[in-house]
Amino acid sequence: MGHLELHNLQVQFGGLRAVDGLNLSLEQGELRCLLGPNGAGKSTTLDLICGKTAASGGSVIFGGIDVTHMAEYQRARHGIGRKFQVPSVFKDLSVIENLEVARSQHPGVLASLRVFRSRLSGRMDEVLTIVGLHDHLHVKAGNLSHGQTQWLEIAMLLMQDCKLILMDEPTAGMTVQETLKTADIFNSLRGSHTMLVVEHDMSFVRVIAEQVTVMDQGKLLAQGTVAEIERDPKVRQAYLGDEETADAAS
Amino acid sequence: MNTTFKTDIIGYGLFAALILFVVPWAFAFDGFELNTFARYLTLGMVAMALALSWGYAGVLNLGQAATFGLGSYVMAMHLKLRASASSYNGMPDFMGWTNVEVLPWFWEPFHSLTFTLVAGLALPALVAWLMAVFMFRGRVTGVFVAIITLAFLVALQLVFISEQRYTGGQNGLTGLAPLELFGWRADAYSTSFYYMVAGCLITALALGLAVVRSKVGLILRAIREDANRVRFFGYDVARYETLAFCVSAALAGWAGMLYVLVLEFASPTYMSVPFSLGIVIWCAVGGRESLVAAALGAVVVNMLEGRLSSIFVEGWFLFLGILFIVVVLVMPRGLYGLFSDAVQRLQTVSPRDRGGKVATKATPLSATPAVKEEN
Repeated sequence: MGHLELHNLQVQFGGLRAVDGLNLSLEQGELRCLLGPNGAGKSTTLDLICGKTAASGGSVIFGGIDVTHMAEYQRARHGIGRKFQVPSVFKDLSVIENLEVARSQHPGVLASLRVFRSRLSGRMDEVLTIVGLHDHLHVKAGNLSHGQTQWLEIAMLLMQDCKLILMDEPTAGMTVQETLKTADIFNSLRGSHTMLVVEHDMSFVRVIAEQVTVMDQGKLLAQGTVAEIERDPKVRQAYLGDEETADAAS
Repeated sequence: MNTTFKTDIIGYGLFAALILFVVPWAFAFDGFELNTFARYLTLGMVAMALALSWGYAGVLNLGQAATFGLGSYVMAMHLKLRASASSYNGMPDFMGWTNVEVLPWFWEPFHSLTFTLVAGLALPALVAWLMAVFMFRGRVTGVFVAIITLAFLVALQLVFISEQRYTGGQNGLTGLAPLELFGWRADAYSTSFYYMVAGCLITALALGLAVVRSKVGLILRAIREDANRVRFFGYDVARYETLAFCVSAALAGWAGMLYVLVLEFASPTYMSVPFSLGIVIWCAVGGRESLVAAALGAVVVNMLEGRLSSIFVEGWFLFLGILFIVVVLVMPRGLYGLFSDAVQRLQTVSPRDRGGKVATKATPLSATPAVKEEN
């Protein structure tokens, strides 16, 4: 039994089946990349897993527990974390305050009433070292550069320390150098965290992914290693329309 | 650890010193003048309560006067019963005029002082909790919260006016006995009474500050910015909003109890819409991001009202309206916003700056803000 399992997952928006009978299984500690053309339902799949969107059919099993009908915050407490496509740090809060919000191992109101200062030692220190934001603790997140904002978001995910990390285009807008550093971080998380990453940048996917899942029109199209996927004629068809252009592109 | 925290503590200390030492001295310890000022302080308390829910949690409660009014009636009922001890059946005079034969059951517990003091905080909090469960569980936000709370206020005031047999109706509760607390008799025109009110405000401010300086305050600010994102960290947003709303209501109830002691009567006008909107204006003028600033805003605006309304009797509300428009247009963060901007500008000039442009440049990762790539 996988760490995360999707069984016949479905969702409809009006008449559109954004995700249509998707089955997927992730092992504990696996890093899976989710590919597919625009509108294939990748982001929606992440929404369904983290609870942002309610499924109209099927089920999401995480760690052996059926979370299909849980509220977002309950799923988060079970260890499902989500990084969004648009950097969504809290712009009015400082870096350290953002990280303190992310330190959500005790999310209850009463527990929060007893916390008055942010401990900088331990996990916080490790995370700050990984992402290199030590010098910017009291900078408002709104004043960070684009790259730093991305780092802060990843730092928040690390702080939250969720068992399953869902990421939507984590390297969008990053420089090559930043992308490489992100790949390093992902590789170091492999094994301890299960990750599902939606990504378009194939060079990045080659560096991080063992297994790749390709979706098209809400359905699972192909699954395998990067090399297998790149050879798969169905995938080429979905991405590029027809065989000729696929040949021309390769 | 945090610069705003330091500002809060300094501001709090200065404010406490102001109302404990400077004000009594400035009014030459005159009981009548101090009674007027004690009234401003109770209004400061209710503005502070609003800042807790509006400024921190982003929950604009236009019906703050409802919980304030509930607190005031709770206190007034106790004092009315004490004043009516020798009358027929121990019943308040107005009940006799409307042919009520026995004291209604819900008046009975207000014979007890302890019950009254607890109820003055708990009843507003309970009412707020019921509203909060409906609103925040249902994820009602923004302007709809404002509409619901305002509608509730209007309904509550109508009930208090129409149920004249039990509430004194339009006249409210008058002819109250003075409060007796541990053998101390509250004389609204004594300096000791002023110190009691000032002490209550300082205590309430400390409680409010403790809440907003704890992680709860941080989560509330995060919720104000992006409630959905907070949910994905595992926080139950509705519970945090409910807590802020209920603490705010309890503090408003406390202020209401004090208000009755200051003015020595309770009236349905404490639950009127203009009064409730006035609270919002005081809070906006002072600055809703800071509890102390909101309290100060209420004191300043009401002092102005005291001076100006004696000159232009009818024109005061016009002035208040213009003040609100000016604040919203020119300084949306109130006096506190002006002050904190000035402090920040001073810090940016100093070389030890950690927050401004200097620090952002020093990072190797942000040499050029990367252009977002096309998919």
